[in-house]
Amino acid sequence: MLRAADVSVAYGDETIFRDLSVEVDAGEVIAVIGPSGVGKTTLLRLLALAAEPDEGSVALDDVDPWARSASERLALRRRVGMVFQEASLFDASVARNVEYGLRVRRSWTDRLGSLFGRGVPDAVREALDVVGLADETRRHADSLSGGEAQRVSFARALAYEPDALLLDEPTSDLDPRNTAVIEEAIGEARDRGIGVAVATHDMHQAERVADRVAVLLDDGITEMGPTEVVFEDPANERTRKFISGELVY
Amino acid sequence: MSLAAIPQLAPALLDLPFREGYVWSIVYVSLYVSVTAVAVSTLVSVPVAVALGFAEFPGKGFVKSVINTGMGFPSVVVGLVVLFAVSNQGPLGSLELIFTREAMIMSQFVLATPPITAISLAAVDGVDDGVRDAARALGGTRIDAALVVLKEARYGIATAVLAGFGRAVSEVGSVLIVGGNITGPDGVSKTRTLTTAIQLEARQGQYETAMILGAVLVALVLTVNAVVVRFGDGGVNA
Repeated sequence: MLRAADVSVAYGDETIFRDLSVEVDAGEVIAVIGPSGVGKTTLLRLLALAAEPDEGSVALDDVDPWARSASERLALRRRVGMVFQEASLFDASVARNVEYGLRVRRSWTDRLGSLFGRGVPDAVREALDVVGLADETRRHADSLSGGEAQRVSFARALAYEPDALLLDEPTSDLDPRNTAVIEEAIGEARDRGIGVAVATHDMHQAERVADRVAVLLDDGITEMGPTEVVFEDPANERTRKFISGELVY
Repeated sequence: MSLAAIPQLAPALLDLPFREGYVWSIVYVSLYVSVTAVAVSTLVSVPVAVALGFAEFPGKGFVKSVINTGMGFPSVVVGLVVLFAVSNQGPLGSLELIFTREAMIMSQFVLATPPITAISLAAVDGVDDGVRDAARALGGTRIDAALVVLKEARYGIATAVLAGFGRAVSEVGSVLIVGGNITGPDGVSKTRTLTTAIQLEARQGQYETAMILGAVLVALVLTVNAVVVRFGDGGVNA
């Protein structure tokens, strides 16, 4: 479904990664693990169709957005959701935050109409229910704890039912309870047929949530495969050292 | 001011030709000129600030420096430039704007635009990049992201508008030059504003009248501040 093929990215003279290939299929969770600064966020931005690779191609259902017009690219981009490490909620209520993705997909006439009818759409309630915040629609974003804000951020990306969901270190600042809620929500997204990619440096989390794991070290993926194979019997020596903690960055 | 001073000011109050509409006409002209100038300036400045906040291009720092420098434009110089522009020999001479409220609006527009743009730009720059990224990642267009940033920056932009209004309504030099501080034969203001009236009354030794007009000006600015701040607070729970 969502595929990066032989992509390379460099910032000036610094190569982030080269000739990297990865695919996210519908209804699976793939974890991208690796040390901080290795390019996990950059890879997710490519998959979110938010940035163009220097070399190689990214495609959603075999359609390369960078070979299409801006409006076609926007239509493709709207099939992908992304959750960042920081919740970055808007200065509005929980419901208005979660409704944002639905709102920007409406015509301007409908948007103006929605200013007067402030009912909470079912999709918003359902998305908030997934993260256990269905009763908090009226609360202002400023009043949420960090964990609650990240759960709202997850619901915000889930509400418009994307085909693929990209999560950039979604639980790195969360306590165990909120982490568990997010991990359950990742499972719910998979059950709905959404392809999920999680960038994380938490290998235990990757083991818990992922069907497949891609190990991103230095300037490329050293190993990719089923979670239990990568963690229990890695073929690559650097992968084995990284997982066992012998390879320290 | 002590209570004992009030009886001394009473004759000055009585001296003011309220019945002829002198004070009200001055207040009206002040508000008409300044509000119009600030409204037009806001319509120009805020989109420019958002565009600059979103754009990355070589020389952006220089453009910001030019805008910041504009905040220090001497008003008499602005008045002179506008006077030249609307004079018979100037490029806008055919419009016959000299000593009109429209010319005063032009000069106040020039004075108000730099502070409104600079403070709005600072407010836009101050919005967390994550908010902008989130708007785009959730499927928003550039316009959607700009609207989100505008909403997040609304208090800073309200402050910018207030600063622009403060600069416009309290300014003397340029409106005196391009407006001429004129009243009609009936004593009703044509281009006389509160500031130019205060300057005139003080020069004629009418200190009490000047003080009262000054109090009216301060009350006006406070009222506009209160309205804008209240308007901004109304958006918190939106």
